[in-house]
Amino acid sequence: MQSAQTAMVITDVRAPDAPIVFANPAFAALTGYDLTETLGRNCRFLQGADTDRALQARLSAAVKARTPVTLDILNYRKDGSAFWNALSISPIPGSDGDVGHMLGVMSDVTARKVAEHSLESAVAQRAAEMDHALKQTTALLHEVDHRVKNNLQLIASLLLLQSRRVEDETARKALRGMLERVSAIATVHRRLFQSEDIERFDVAQFVRDLTADMMAASGRPEIQMRLDLERVDVPASQAAPAALVINELIGNALRHAFPEGRSGVIEVSIRRQDPGFEVAICDDGVGLPTREEDVRGFGLTIAHLLSRQLRANLLIEDSQPGVRALVKLTSSR
Amino acid sequence: MTATRMTPPNDPLDILIVEDEVLLAVELGFIVREAGCREVGHAMSSTEAVQLAEALHPDLALVDVHLRDGPTGIDVARRIAKDCGGVALFMTANVKRLPDDLAGACGVIGKPYSENAVRAAISYLRVCLRKGLAPGLPPLGLTLSPQFARRWGLGDLPQAM
Repeated sequence: MQSAQTAMVITDVRAPDAPIVFANPAFAALTGYDLTETLGRNCRFLQGADTDRALQARLSAAVKARTPVTLDILNYRKDGSAFWNALSISPIPGSDGDVGHMLGVMSDVTARKVAEHSLESAVAQRAAEMDHALKQTTALLHEVDHRVKNNLQLIASLLLLQSRRVEDETARKALRGMLERVSAIATVHRRLFQSEDIERFDVAQFVRDLTADMMAASGRPEIQMRLDLERVDVPASQAAPAALVINELIGNALRHAFPEGRSGVIEVSIRRQDPGFEVAICDDGVGLPTREEDVRGFGLTIAHLLSRQLRANLLIEDSQPGVRALVKLTSSR
Repeated sequence: MTATRMTPPNDPLDILIVEDEVLLAVELGFIVREAGCREVGHAMSSTEAVQLAEALHPDLALVDVHLRDGPTGIDVARRIAKDCGGVALFMTANVKRLPDDLAGACGVIGKPYSENAVRAAISYLRVCLRKGLAPGLPPLGLTLSPQFARRWGLGDLPQAM
């Protein structure tokens, strides 16, 4: 004990205030107090301003009850410097079987404590940084979303304003066509960040929004729109091209299938398939042969090009009566 | 309040446009007239909006949230509802940032809107404001505030955003 590297003290718990009756040289080396300054005092002389009161209470209780305890407590050296003391005290049974003394073993674990503390604060700081970065990214996403929506609104207004002024019928139709396409993209953006999964786009919901708006705009109450839609979605990156294809096909049916006030039904259905899904747009109006403009038009060119981009199959056929347009999308995942 | 002011049911609404994007405001003016209503003024800032609302007593104000002087459209809507005896309708790209009570406004149209959605909403609100009763569920694109849905006899019906 005398020559041990570990600091040790023995206290007499039968004497009043449990004085130290033995301390080894390692104790003096650790604390800076030599034997004459140590003997006869209670161990609490090592405690100081920042020592945890609850730990002090636990120590006193253990001494009083003669039970062992191990804890890390902040102690102070003779020169006033603090150190973390890994302290373990245990009862020493006397020859009569009663506990007369307690042994205290101490070691300086300041380095470990400091490392633990700096790791904890590093983790906390990193978490705060991540939180801040996330907040900034979210704010930026909102800002960009807001700007995209406002700019789409501005583009739509520009097209509308000019279409109101243009006298030439062909030019006006072209501008209206462009407005419809921009509106279809606008409808996509209104929905894009609303769903719980911001990376997926709900095609069925889009068709409901689009057709409601188109029917209201058409001023053709004699045309009936029927929807039979299973819920399917595409990645957000494919939302705009998919929306444009569907927009062209429904727009074509609305514009060309029922000339001169003819009444009829347009049916839009979405069916899930494995893999992918199928969108069908069927009308019971005039068939393909009488719809030259439809087949050669710019709208259908767009629909074909974007279908290729989406790796979708686009099929337009005379269904007698009317026309059936079928889009098969297989790469929805 | 407007609902208690008894005017003939088909009287056109006097509408104030509060929008700092001039092209959008001009286009809204067309839509207002197409819906059979009157555009009584156009404001680009919150002070201008409140001044015009106090002077002109519009039945309805179409209010963008972001105006020339910042995100002040919400205050404009509150002032119009509290002090000017009018009803505000928000038109914003940031529907989620509006307070739950819509600052006393009757509803909101999300941007980007279509001309048809706005026209349908104005025609619908014209009936609501003149008769004090909704002619049915709001048209697509228009979301009513809970207070106004109740006031116009729609109860607490769930609405699609």
